[in-house]
Amino acid sequence: MKTIGLLEIFKKYAIFFVMVGLIILFSLLTPYFLTMQNLTNVFVQNSYVIIAAVGLSFIMISGGMDLSIGYQMSLVGIVTSTLMKNVGLPVAVCLIIGMALGILLGLFNGLMAIILKVHPLIVTLGTMTIFQGISYIISNSKSILNLPKSFKFIGQGYLFGFLPVSVILMILIVAIATIILDKTYVGRFIYALGSNEEAAHLAGIDVKKLKLFVFALCGFFVSIATIILFARTGSGASSTGPGTEFTCMTAAVLGGISFKGGEGKMWGVVVGVLILGILSNGMQLINMSTYVQYVVKGFVLLAAVGFDTYQRESAVTAK
Amino acid sequence: MDDIVLSIKGITKRYPGVTALDDVSLEFHKGEVHALVGENGAGKSTLIKVISGAVTPDSGEIIVGTKGYTSLTPHQAKEEHIEVIYQEFNLVDSLSVAENISFGERSGTFVNFSQMENKALEVLGMMGITQISPKTQVGKLPSSQKQLIEIAKSVSRDAKILIMDEPSAPLSVAEVDKMFEIVRMLKNKGVTIIYISHRLDEIFSIADRVTVMRDGKYIATKLISETGTQELIALMVGRELKESYPVRNCEPGTEALKVEELCGNGDSGISFTLHRGEILGIAGLVGAGRTELARLLFGADKLDSGSIFVNNRKVELHLPGDALCCGIGLIPEDRKQQGCFLEKAIDWNCVISCLKSISRGLFVDEEQQKILSDSYREKLEIKTPTMRQLVKNLSGGNQQKVVIAKTLAANSDILIFDEPTRGIDVGAKQEIYKLMCEMVENGKAILMITSDMQELLGMSDRIIVLYKGQISGELRKEEFSQEKVLEYASGIQ
Repeated sequence: MKTIGLLEIFKKYAIFFVMVGLIILFSLLTPYFLTMQNLTNVFVQNSYVIIAAVGLSFIMISGGMDLSIGYQMSLVGIVTSTLMKNVGLPVAVCLIIGMALGILLGLFNGLMAIILKVHPLIVTLGTMTIFQGISYIISNSKSILNLPKSFKFIGQGYLFGFLPVSVILMILIVAIATIILDKTYVGRFIYALGSNEEAAHLAGIDVKKLKLFVFALCGFFVSIATIILFARTGSGASSTGPGTEFTCMTAAVLGGISFKGGEGKMWGVVVGVLILGILSNGMQLINMSTYVQYVVKGFVLLAAVGFDTYQRESAVTAK
Repeated sequence: MDDIVLSIKGITKRYPGVTALDDVSLEFHKGEVHALVGENGAGKSTLIKVISGAVTPDSGEIIVGTKGYTSLTPHQAKEEHIEVIYQEFNLVDSLSVAENISFGERSGTFVNFSQMENKALEVLGMMGITQISPKTQVGKLPSSQKQLIEIAKSVSRDAKILIMDEPSAPLSVAEVDKMFEIVRMLKNKGVTIIYISHRLDEIFSIADRVTVMRDGKYIATKLISETGTQELIALMVGRELKESYPVRNCEPGTEALKVEELCGNGDSGISFTLHRGEILGIAGLVGAGRTELARLLFGADKLDSGSIFVNNRKVELHLPGDALCCGIGLIPEDRKQQGCFLEKAIDWNCVISCLKSISRGLFVDEEQQKILSDSYREKLEIKTPTMRQLVKNLSGGNQQKVVIAKTLAANSDILIFDEPTRGIDVGAKQEIYKLMCEMVENGKAILMITSDMQELLGMSDRIIVLYKGQISGELRKEEFSQEKVLEYASGIQ
């Protein structure tokens, strides 16, 4: 009985053990890996990815998908930077406008998915291109350099000299997201929507409203991720952000968010992002070329997904 | 008339809990139109699936021409020139008429379009259809013409035995006549047609012989010239009412639900009232618009016109959530797809429809969830080691109890049961009946849609029969009889 229990735990938290395994592996391979400085780096570099991935996970759990996250970041970032630098609005006002814009873009995605009755994957494939265009029109393909110091503090600053602001924000967001999903009825409804839309509808859930909410929530989280990313780089360009959507998707799948919806936990997503982050960081430290890193990351994803499916199938046949 | 093209000997097919076919033997002659009739669940569909190779029988023999088989594969059925036209079309909407007619046939590596179109023209010409071009995309045709393409497909494969399952369902009267012409032409060419229909009047105008089935058993085969509607109905309903139903001590009370001139979703002009303490049975054949009515009353589909009154108050139901607020609950027909969340736990499912009411602010009160779901576990006798168990691991009967618990937990007192005991074993059925009786004794009102004649007659206080989206008759308890229900359901009266 006890061995079965251990096995169950191992299966349930497999992804966590993979992360621990990677940490041990890189610690043995290079002395530079397991240092306070380096681990802090990994967190700082990935906090914005975690926040965006949390947003995406809400949509994925509800049974949807958002490919436009990267260009939402590009657009929100450029608008915020332009208002700060070229228009000269106070930083606080720009941040509020940036977050409002994020929510608006999410709502637009959700609205389109509902009106057109098309899977969000296709809808966001379209809106992604729209956001990209608008972002480049506003920036005119030029970078905006030297963003205000108070803004950069969000991405580069430390509280009490050792707590990175971005990491604190990330922890806060993950906590809020976990509470929404696990403790509130809204979270339950999101799982219900993702696991069986028809049954959710017949259970009295206002499915359309909920979809809009989920997309808006994702837009909000993405805008926060944007602010952290742009503040860390200290400059704004339309090319900052795109690509994040695929990292987030990879991390979400690694972390056990089902593509079909209805399943997944926030801690899994965090571990998913960290695994990707540790892999990049560790491989860089042992001087692996960037391109080899891509190959390794790709195989890690396939292995994770394969393991998940295999486990499900064996669970089914065992019955 | 004497040469037998297909004979079936002692075919039996069992599914868990039901015997779909019970030692059925039957013969089909060359060039006859042989009708198969019976109530919902009489075994007609399973029988044609056995003939077409879609279902493997447990025992018995199928003799096609001179060859005997213990079971057919779909491929063997095709080789024996057995073709089926199912209720749902098997056409590819995105392809042309010609491509559909030649679908699945291979002639060399490359597709020869002109050859295909010529063949389609030839087949359609033979059937006397000139208005359809082989190049037309099938998706653009109305369903009546799709039906003709289905027939053409079978003809082009040189069908010797053609099975038609409810072929007239999507057709108008004029179109049915056209289809009959083609059926007669095929018959004269020596094709055997097995014709399944709920509409008895059609059978009298097209069939040569008719076989009646009931409860998976062969009952009788009659020459159409020697029988009549009354006799067929008597044969169809001759089932004994063996199940017993719990007795309940209550009289219908005040009015709970009233609908007036309800239209929408294919139904029209539906008016009735439902009282507290009453079970109102809704009968009708498949496709008569019963589930559609349930969805209208639950706000799941849009109402075109008409009004709904709950407790003498007019209500507007735009979403299922509105209906739940008014105390209307639905136990849907397909419990796995519509009724519950299979991948989630039992307690999770129990409270999903009343989640807001057991939440403090935004937060779900887990304690309340436990109390509430445990109380339903006890009341409904849900058999499980733990309420954390996933619903998919439960038996059909227990799954149904979870769906009922979910609906009751939302404080519904007007309950719509759509096929309350479909796919449930006998013991669990009795428990569901007992629960339904307790509900009405406690002053709730039940609308029960069922295809099970015994259940309908045994449980209802009153019965409304639907035919083609309209009420064709209403029966009071003292008028209950299987014949009456079937007459109304077949549109005879």
